[in-house]
Order: sequence, then C-alpha cells, then structure tokens
Amino acid sequence: MFKSLFAAALLLGFAAAPALAEEWTYTDGTGQTVTLDHVPNRIVMHANTAAGLIPLGIRPIAIYVDTPVAEDKSLQGLDLTGIEIVGEAWGQIDIEKVAALKPDLFLAEWWPLDKAFSGLESGAGSTNQQILKLAPITGPTQGDSIVKLIGDYEVLAKSLGADLNAPQVVADKAAFEASLEKFKAAVAAKPNLTALPIWAGTDGLYVAATAGASELMDFASWGLKLITPEVADDRGYWETLSWEQADKYQPDLVLVDNRSDATMETAKAQPMWTSIKAAAAGQVTDWPAFWLRNYKAYAGALDKLTAAIEAADENLTN
Amino acid sequence: MSVQFAAATSVVAARRKLRIRWRLVTVGLALIVLALMALALTIGDYPLPVGDVVRSLLSPFTGQADQANDFIVLGVRLPRAVTGLLAGAAFGLSGVIFQTVLRNPLASPDIVGITTGASTAAVIAIVMLHLTGFPVAVAATVGAIVISALIYVLSWRGGVTPYRLVLVGIGMAAIAAAVTSYLFTRARISEVQQAMSWLTGSLNGATFEQLGPLALGLLVLGPLAAILYRPLASLELGDDAAKALGTRIEVTRLGTLLVAVVLASFATATVGPVAFVAFASGPVAKRMLGPAGNALLPAALVGAAVTIGADLIAQHSLGRSQLPAGVVTGAIGALFLIYLLAAANRSGRGG
Amino acid sequence: MRAGGLIVLLCGLLAVVFLSITVGARPISLGDVWAALTAPVSDSTTHRIILELRLPRTLVGLLVGAALGLAGAILQGATRNPLADPGLLGIEAGATLCVVLGIAVFGITTLSGYVWLAFLGAGIATVLVYVIASLGREGATPVKLALGGAAVTAALSSVTSAILLTSVQTLDQIRFWQVGALTGRTMDILWQVAPFLGLGIVLALTTGRILDGLAMGDDVARGLGQRVQLSRAFVGVVAVILAGAATAACGPIAFVGLTIPHVARAITGPNYRWLLPYSMVLGPILLLGADIVGRVIAPPGELQVGIVTAAIGAPFFIAFVRRRKLAEL
Repeated sequence: MFKSLFAAALLLGFAAAPALAEEWTYTDGTGQTVTLDHVPNRIVMHANTAAGLIPLGIRPIAIYVDTPVAEDKSLQGLDLTGIEIVGEAWGQIDIEKVAALKPDLFLAEWWPLDKAFSGLESGAGSTNQQILKLAPITGPTQGDSIVKLIGDYEVLAKSLGADLNAPQVVADKAAFEASLEKFKAAVAAKPNLTALPIWAGTDGLYVAATAGASELMDFASWGLKLITPEVADDRGYWETLSWEQADKYQPDLVLVDNRSDATMETAKAQPMWTSIKAAAAGQVTDWPAFWLRNYKAYAGALDKLTAAIEAADENLTN
Repeated sequence: MSVQFAAATSVVAARRKLRIRWRLVTVGLALIVLALMALALTIGDYPLPVGDVVRSLLSPFTGQADQANDFIVLGVRLPRAVTGLLAGAAFGLSGVIFQTVLRNPLASPDIVGITTGASTAAVIAIVMLHLTGFPVAVAATVGAIVISALIYVLSWRGGVTPYRLVLVGIGMAAIAAAVTSYLFTRARISEVQQAMSWLTGSLNGATFEQLGPLALGLLVLGPLAAILYRPLASLELGDDAAKALGTRIEVTRLGTLLVAVVLASFATATVGPVAFVAFASGPVAKRMLGPAGNALLPAALVGAAVTIGADLIAQHSLGRSQLPAGVVTGAIGALFLIYLLAAANRSGRGG
Repeated sequence: MRAGGLIVLLCGLLAVVFLSITVGARPISLGDVWAALTAPVSDSTTHRIILELRLPRTLVGLLVGAALGLAGAILQGATRNPLADPGLLGIEAGATLCVVLGIAVFGITTLSGYVWLAFLGAGIATVLVYVIASLGREGATPVKLALGGAAVTAALSSVTSAILLTSVQTLDQIRFWQVGALTGRTMDILWQVAPFLGLGIVLALTTGRILDGLAMGDDVARGLGQRVQLSRAFVGVVAVILAGAATAACGPIAFVGLTIPHVARAITGPNYRWLLPYSMVLGPILLLGADIVGRVIAPPGELQVGIVTAAIGAPFFIAFVRRRKLAEL
C-alpha cells in the first residue's frame, strides 16, 4: 500500500512540476497585463524607473534617459557601472543597441495625462514604438504621491526577485521614516508657516500648483501649508507672474525648483526677487521637483526642507 | 558651304557632348546613392555581417527568415534608407523647381516659408493640441498648403512676380517662426523637446507604413514635374521672351509651384523639415552639369544622397549620442554652398 | 518739411517713453511714478519697480530700437537689398550659437554673461559671411552676401540644434532668450552695451553720404570717386556693432531692422541723410510700443517684445510689399 501511495505522490509531483515553472505577470495602472514565461532579468528601463528600482536591488541591463546622464537629477548618486546607456536625448533610443542586448522587458512610468509610458510619448511616435517589437513594456503609474510610487516600485521589485529585507534597503527605508517624522514635527511646530513653490525665468515668476506635483501633494498631506496660485495655464500647473507682480504671494518660505542651478541664479538676478519678503530674508530652499524616486533621495530632500523650516520665522508674513 | 557644314557638325557634336555629360553625371549620382544605401544597410550598432544582411534582404523571396536579423535589416535599416531616398528626392525636386520658376537662387521651400509653415503647424499640433504621431504629419501638410496659398494670394497683384513672391514668403516665414518661438515659451519643457526634435528633421523610427503618401506623391508628381519642367527653361529667359515663345506663363508657373509645394509638404510631413536639402540640391546639381541642362533628375539624386549620407554621419560619427539627420544636412548643405560660391566666383560667374 | 516731421516723431517718441515708464503689468499711479523719480523711497515696491524695472527697460529699449532701425537702414543701403536686416548677415545665428555654447559648455546662466557671448558670436558670424561673399572677382555683391549669410546661418543653426537636442537644461534657458525680450534687462546690462550702442549710433549718423553714393550703384559711385569696397566694409562694421550689441542686450528681435527703414523711406524718400535720423527715431517707437503692448496684453504675466514686433511688423511688411514697387536685386 505504501508503495502505491509513494508512486501516486511521485506522479502528482511530476504532474505539478510544470505548473511550478516561474511565470511573471504585472498589471499596470490602465489595467493592461503583461505576462512572461520567466522572471525577466534582461530589463531596459527609463531613467526614473531605474532610480526607483536600483536602490531596491533590481539592476537593468540598459537605461534610456531624456537628457545626458549628468543632467538627470534622479540618477545622481546611483552606481551605474555595467549598465548600457541606450539613449541620452529625448526621443532618441538607439534601437539597434537595444536589439543587440536582447531584452525581455521594458519598464517605464505611465503618465495618465499623456496616456503614454515615459519615452514613448507623442512626438516620439513611431520612433520609439518600434522597441515594442522586441519586448513588452509596463510599469507603475504616476499619481498623487511619491511615497505611493515608491511603494509601487517595492511591489514591482519584489515580483522581480528583489530581497526587500536586504540590509541596505531596510536601512534606507528606516532613514526615510526617521526623516519624515522630523519633517512632520517641524511642520507641526510652526502652524503659521506658509510655503510657495516656484520656478524663475527672466520673463517672469512661475508659481506651481500643489496638485501638479506628486511630492508637493505629499508635503501638503503631511501638514505643510502650500500657497495655491490662481492657475492660468491649460493643464493647471503654473501661474505666470510678471516680475512687477512678484509680490502677489507672500510666503514665509520659498521653494525653488532645483532641477537646474540656473533657476536660483536667475531668481537672484531679478531686482524684484527681494520684493518677496521671504527671499529678502533668505528663507529660501530647494524644491525637489518631479525627480524623487527612492527613499534615500527622499530622506535627503526632507532633511533639507526640515532644516529650512526649523530656521524660518513663521510669522514673517501674516 | 563647308563653313556651314562645319558649324552644323560642331553644334551637333557639342550637343552630343552635353548629352553624354548629362548621362555621366546622372549615372554617377545614382551610383553614389546606391552605395550610400548599401552602407546604411550594413553599418549599425547591431553586429551583422554583410552576408546576413543580404540574406535578410532576400528573405521575402527565399522564405529563409531569421526574426532577429530581419527585424534590424527589414524593419529598421531598410525603411530608414528608403525614407531618406524618397524624402531627399522630394526635397531636391522641390528646391530646384522653386529656384527655376522664381528665377532666384535664394528661393526654396525652406526660405520662402513653406517648410516653416509646415513646422509651425506641427508645433501647434504638438504643443497646443497635444497631438502625436501621424496627425502631426497631417497638420504639417495642412500648414504648408495654407501658408503657400496665403503667400500666393498676398503676392498677387494683377499677377505674381517671382520677386514679390519671395519677399512675401520671407515675411510669412518670419511670422511662422515667431509663432513657434512664442509657443516654445508657453509650453512645458517636454513638449518643447518633442517639438525641437521634430523641427530638426529626423529619419528616426522610419517605417514603411509612414511612407505611403510620400511614395505615392513622388510616383505621381515626379513625372508631372518632369513634364512641366521643360517649358520652365524658357521662363528663365524672362517673362517677355517666354510670352513670345508661346508659354502660358501664369498657369505653368502656378502648376509647377503647386507640384513643388506638395512634394515639399509630403516630405516635411514624413521626416520633418530637414534643413537645406531643398536649398542646396539644385545649385549642386547645376554645378555638376554645367551647361548640360535639365537639372531635375540630378537634383533629386543629390537630395537623396545628401539625406542618406547625412543620416549615416548623424547616427554613427558622434560617439554615444545619436543626432537627427537635419543637424548634419544643415552643416553639409551650408559647406557645400560655400564651396560653390567660392568656386563659381573664381571662374568668373559671379553671384 | 522733413525737419518738421522729425520733430513730430520726436514728440511721439517722448510720449512712448512716458508710457513705457507709467504703464506696466502692475498698475501704478502717476503720482507714485513722479515720487519714484524725484524722491524715491528705498523699500517701496512700486518705487523699485519704476527705478529698477521700468526705467532701465525703457532706456535699453530706446538704445536698442534706435540701433536696430539704423542697422537695418544701413544694411539695406549697403547691400541695395530691401530685404536686408541684421539677421541676413548671420548675426542672430552667430549670437545664438555663442550663447548656447556658453550655457552648455561654460555653464553661464545670467543675462550679463550672455551679452559678451552674443557680441562675440555676432562678430564672428559676420566676418565669416563677409569673407565667403568676397571670394572671387567681384567681391561682396549683394546677392553673394545674401547667399553667404544664408549658408552661414544654416551651418551655425545646425550646430546650435545639435547642442540643444542633447542638453535639456540649455534648451530650457535659450528658448526664453531666443524670443527677444526687454524683461529682466537691468541697469547692469545697460552699462554693458551702452558704449557700443552709443558709438554705433554716432558713427551710423555719419554714414549718410556713403550710403547715398552706394545707392547709385557701384560703377557710378566709383566714377564719383568713392572707394566702394572700403565704404561698404566700413558701413558693414557699423551695422554689425549696432546689431550685435542690440542682440547681445535683448536677444534676436525680429522685424524692427527690416520694416523701419521702409517706413522711414516712405516719408523721407531715398535720401540717407534724412533716412537715418528717421530710422533712429522710428525704431524705438516701434520697439517700446510693442513692449508696452506686451506688458498689458497678458495679465498678470507679460508677452515678450520679440513676439509683438513680429505680430505687428509682419502683416505691415506684407501689406507694404504688396503696395510698393520694389527695385529688383
């Protein structure tokens, strides 16, 4: 009797074996699902996605960037050794290089407003659509919160085989949570503090709407009072002010878009910059605009903000 | 009697020499174009020995398909080379027609505002209407035709003199350029990048599906241009002489210009406004032919050669970055024209 | 008669200058303006706007408008080409490329930094165009100058495009500069370019006789004792100083150099000794006028002057081309 039970068990084992072969599947924000018959390990990623996944332990074989690598804030500080760069300008993915690498998956973020994945938007059109003949593309959706996006990256990384309990990953997350607590405390300690996120050009001052940037939504949800402009542009993200009207909004703290050093210099060169009292008082700090994708970078940004908030006089403007 | 006989034979001999020169130049140019296309098919970042390239090219006939190789050769490199060929030819034809009809070496779709109009329409489509892909090309064609019509109407005062046409064209080009600049300052930076990328003219991502309108256009309008071009030579002598020779000036001029505009706009719609190909092809071809006459086909071949060659350089000569072909055609075309100016001036032909 | 017309225009210019100081994106009362000019209070925002934004802007607009009007008149006279404008000689393409290189390679980010770069680029481009056009027997004839200018512009624009496509940060900065604007032009910029603009304007006003001579055609001019090549080179240099400094201060502004001489010529006839002063006064009227329109047409933001001059200038130019009989090249 034991012999036949044993034989039956073996048979069952053999029958079940093929079903245990690793399949990989991911559903993106639009509901489309990508399924592969193996866990992908030759992945080509957009720069922002690489910034999200590399710290979690998933390394792509190649990345494509919208600008030269040195100019991309999300990639700063990441170790990119061994990763091929297959595109360093918007809309220019070198398809032959990609084909030579024999990728099995493309990963990029889905932008609901553009209805496209990063790197495959509009004008790129069929330019980069051709890469889809080599492998499918999928990825998390850009939404209202960077923290949620990082969480999505954690889920994606885990499904790709990452060990989220690796010491570095755990340490990064712990550091972020510590920074977040300090940030929330600093904001709570100064209930009258208002902040204004801006971008500065020679032709005018551009004030950002909170709803237009995921990290601003995060800050607002943690208690930071952001001034909302009367938005004018068609997507509702920015209000343009002539420098004569630069003093329209008077915050206690000015947050300056830090994707480029030129922004701060341009702001300082304008005579009416100091008509914003916070700017005249030096209560100015960085706004990490649109490029945060991992806990380490977020922790650093929050620490900077916390320091600025703690140093600021919340009653500068009532 | 012997003097007349000698004169007659020398004229016949001269004509034969010119015909031979024309044939030599045309065949030579065609060979250059073929060589460039061969290069375009065999050079690339994906390592493919020549034997494999040939095998892929023949695979539709022999049935021996290799998916990976065929994707590169038939799906990426061949469409790109053919697009360069057709767009370059269309630009070259368009340019030489404009320059001949308008009797002005400065006249070409680029300068007279046609391609600028197409570009502005495309930028409007990308930045204001948030369109993508094929609709942008449609918008470009519409823009080119609208601006051409405007230029024609605005320069019509009891007829259109070439000079007034060129002046109005330059004015319209400036308006279109200003609109583009304005839109650039209003748009998000990613849209500006998209627009800039389109505006520079690129063969990137060319596919056979996109080529339909352009191929059809060349097939129909190419021969039409050839038919209309012959009487154009008489137009170069000036309106009075042309009238005396019986050409119906206005109709011929209008018809030929229309052909040129449509060719330019189809090409622009397919690859964007590739700089300088239209402007430079005619002078280059005429320089090579000398007095040997009909520059139509040679100009088309020059245009094709410049476009394919520029794309090769843009793709492979700059290390890690891949640039669009339009960047290089501008530089090549300009250098070539400078050389022509210098050479022509030395031989005493002046401006 | 012409003197009378000039005086009327000068009054018009004064009116425009007045408007330029009193009108802007932020409504400021006349009393406040007066107080700002006579007894400024150092931390009053409105006073600071008048003194630090509108006043320098008006002065820059005055000088640059005059420079562009004169440069256009000179170039049209020297090349006998009614289409000539500073952009023809590759000035704008050269200035833009140099500024782009400065941003991309040297990381220069301020307007005052751009000024020297633009000047350098304008000068190099013009020399290049002139050298190319002079190759061969006849020297720099109008047609060859035009062709050389087109060739150089295309070549330089290609390089510019190449750089802009590979550096988003550079593209982001240059797209605002490239439109041509008076916003952000402070006293620093004024002091940087004023000497060149001043020198250029003075020299330009002395070229009337030379231009009258060249207008008669090279052979006649030579017959009358004028050294044609030298004269053309001299006036060319003056035009480049004017246009180069103007572009350096404000970026490439379209249409002023092209249309103003035609308007002036419609009033004064072809005599350059009157044409030049008229161009000098009409230029700032157009430029400052366009700037004022730009300030009020898109509140609370502003529309750059380069856009407005194109919007005003181009239809005018086309209407003009239709009406007048123009000499062929």
